[in-house]
Amino acid sequence: MKVSKNELMASLKKAFEGLGFHPGDYYDAADMVVWLETHGLDGFDRLQAALAYLNTTGPTHAELIEEGTNYLFLDGNDSSILLCGSEAIDLLSAQIMEGSAARLQLNNCYNRTFILQRLVKAAQRNLAFIAYWRQDDCCIKVSIAAGADLPEHQTFSMAEDIDPQSLTVFAGTDLVVVEQQFSEQIVIGELIETYSSAGMSICYQDSVEQGIEIDEVLWSTLEGLVERILVESTESSRAGAGD
Amino acid sequence: MRPDSQVMQLERLGSFHQSRLSFMRTLVRRMVTENWQITSPVFDLDDQGYGTVVYQVEARFGTFSYVLFSHYLDPDSRNDRVIANQWDLTMALCEGKVDADQLAFLRTNVPKQEAGRVDSRVLVLSRANRSGRTFEYVVSELAEGRQPCIDVIAEVGYLYRTTAAYGSGKLGMADWEKVRTKHPDFARPFAAEMFTCFMLRHFSMQQADHLASRRAPGKAVILDKDIKRYLGIGNSTGLGMAPFLINHPLLISQWIEMRETALARVILASESGVDEPIFFRLAASVQRVIQHLGEIVTADERQHNSNILVRKELQVLLAWMHDDGLRLLRDHYVWANLVQYVEQFCHIETQELINTLLIELYPELVDDLEEQMGIDESIRITPEMPVTELLQIIEDKYDWALIIDFTQYESIGAFWYRSQEKMEPRLGQTNIDMGMEKEMPMAIGRRVRKCYDQASAYNLTYPQQNVAHFIMRHPNRSGIVGRIQTLAQRLYGDIRENLVHSNVLPIHLLRCKLSFFGVSKFDPRSRLWVRNTMFQGAPLISDFGKPFVDDWQFPIKPVLTSG
Repeated sequence: MKVSKNELMASLKKAFEGLGFHPGDYYDAADMVVWLETHGLDGFDRLQAALAYLNTTGPTHAELIEEGTNYLFLDGNDSSILLCGSEAIDLLSAQIMEGSAARLQLNNCYNRTFILQRLVKAAQRNLAFIAYWRQDDCCIKVSIAAGADLPEHQTFSMAEDIDPQSLTVFAGTDLVVVEQQFSEQIVIGELIETYSSAGMSICYQDSVEQGIEIDEVLWSTLEGLVERILVESTESSRAGAGD
Repeated sequence: MRPDSQVMQLERLGSFHQSRLSFMRTLVRRMVTENWQITSPVFDLDDQGYGTVVYQVEARFGTFSYVLFSHYLDPDSRNDRVIANQWDLTMALCEGKVDADQLAFLRTNVPKQEAGRVDSRVLVLSRANRSGRTFEYVVSELAEGRQPCIDVIAEVGYLYRTTAAYGSGKLGMADWEKVRTKHPDFARPFAAEMFTCFMLRHFSMQQADHLASRRAPGKAVILDKDIKRYLGIGNSTGLGMAPFLINHPLLISQWIEMRETALARVILASESGVDEPIFFRLAASVQRVIQHLGEIVTADERQHNSNILVRKELQVLLAWMHDDGLRLLRDHYVWANLVQYVEQFCHIETQELINTLLIELYPELVDDLEEQMGIDESIRITPEMPVTELLQIIEDKYDWALIIDFTQYESIGAFWYRSQEKMEPRLGQTNIDMGMEKEMPMAIGRRVRKCYDQASAYNLTYPQQNVAHFIMRHPNRSGIVGRIQTLAQRLYGDIRENLVHSNVLPIHLLRCKLSFFGVSKFDPRSRLWVRNTMFQGAPLISDFGKPFVDDWQFPIKPVLTSG
């Protein structure tokens, strides 16, 4: 079945609310899922993976372990980026605003591809980012220039052993400088695949024009989560609607 | 510009009237001046008025189809509430022309409304019910060869009531983003939804004529054009609309800012006084509003008393205008003086009426603002902001929230929740009704208060820290912090009211939004829902392309030329 972006956003917000997310968190989480799906990055598949986890635990956030003048170290507490991605990028953004460049290390976190939407949003404030993480036997590098609307998503072979559940983000005001910082600290393997911003843009336009295809089982799973925030209707409750 | 401490009071927002910037007004201006062509390639109604109609709309930039299904409805099933599942009419506004396959698809899904699915070719889905008081009466009179009595029409104002007009991507429809970027004809907020209601009005009169002619061929007459112009569309609006104002604070803020900008421009235009013709136009408008209010029938005591009081105050004002007005025309900022006088001596509804009438006088200063009613609605956290600055913003912008004592039961005596019945928003009583644990986040004041208390305590411990660190420690506050920071950059921020107070009047929220839609004749049925009319007095499709004076607001009974 096809749904619109607005409809999907509304459903996701309520579904995340049903999972115990707070206002702010459920807006951000819904934004992240919709962004990935509408830009051709399998948002729904990743959501299903996340739901399997989120459905069994309460909402958990990251914790700031250590902070220097140009680096941040966070423990994700086995949380999903859907929950801890916003605060991590906000913290990093604040540090760049007060300095020039910074590096964030977020360990023990899941569903890291969702970080793309947070980077895109933060880039609107004229900040540049490179995010890097391990995905199975490969590594993912996502770059976005300051002020850009869309990032570039690249897959590399793994050149060095890195923690399977960590996320590293380099940030600054100029992507060239950030890229330099990244190259100095990270050894990357061979480029396997590039998903360009142009490809993302085409995918997004198609979503707006045609709607978004969603598996009926996933839609019904979301409806089930939405049910959790609804209150049983009774004769007396109808009075609360004007009857 | 008036300060937000004055404008954003809920009672004032609930006293707003339609203006030149209201969406119905701007839509009608566009349709008439651009001479939209509307034909009906399919008009397949039987003798009972049931069947299918497709209107083809040639607007300035595109072609659209308005598809309507008319069904038999058991009178016992006629219900205006959102929880209804059958209606007299169901409609869809679609992009482009509709072919046989799409029509079949729409016929299967549109009558089901929320229980069906449509696709991104559909812009708006809507439904309507006949008025039990006027529809059959009008058809009978026409079939008898008579025009209906205008007093009966005036009491109701319409033949059909719409109970919902869904757009913005609901049920698989086109997203607002698509409508805004692909269809300039409907690229203003709610333009497509308002058009759907306008077309319903057109159909309601066509159907009445059709039924009368089928009942009494050769004897029936066509509804008089002046009566047609006086007929609008009824509307029932309940709590479902209220959360919109809280969930779209930036959009609401923008609408209000544009309205206030219009008012400020008008006041500025009177810097060196005003000309006589403008003054006489204002006097004529006041006279018209007095008549308009006198013709409103409402069983709601509060609204009834308010209408009486406003009429009385307007009559005093009118007498003053006749006696002394001309002498004061050359006064410096005469409109500012008028606004000030009314604020000092008149009811809040009279104040907002006068503001609306002043805006009406200067189309050339105001109408360009209609293009600025949309806005990017992103809520953004400013993570580097010091916590001390956040606290200062709360003290400045949310002083109204900080003075509320949330330990008192009355301050938290109500809560908003979504019912299992079609997710209908409802208002519950704290500790009495079920569902408190599933409360919707409508209590902005209380959320701000909690945030303020936590941020104050945090600031004592970590005096140099920024908002990013505060949120790291209190992640549950990210939503309200982003809201506070984003709205702080606007002239008009949050609605200054505790929406979970025991005595909260949600009807003010509804009326505020409805005023921006452009409705008139508010008839509250309780503190939770209101009836009103849309497009009453507006031009007909046959008026499109003809010379047009945009003064159809505050409709009054027509004096029939045909006798």
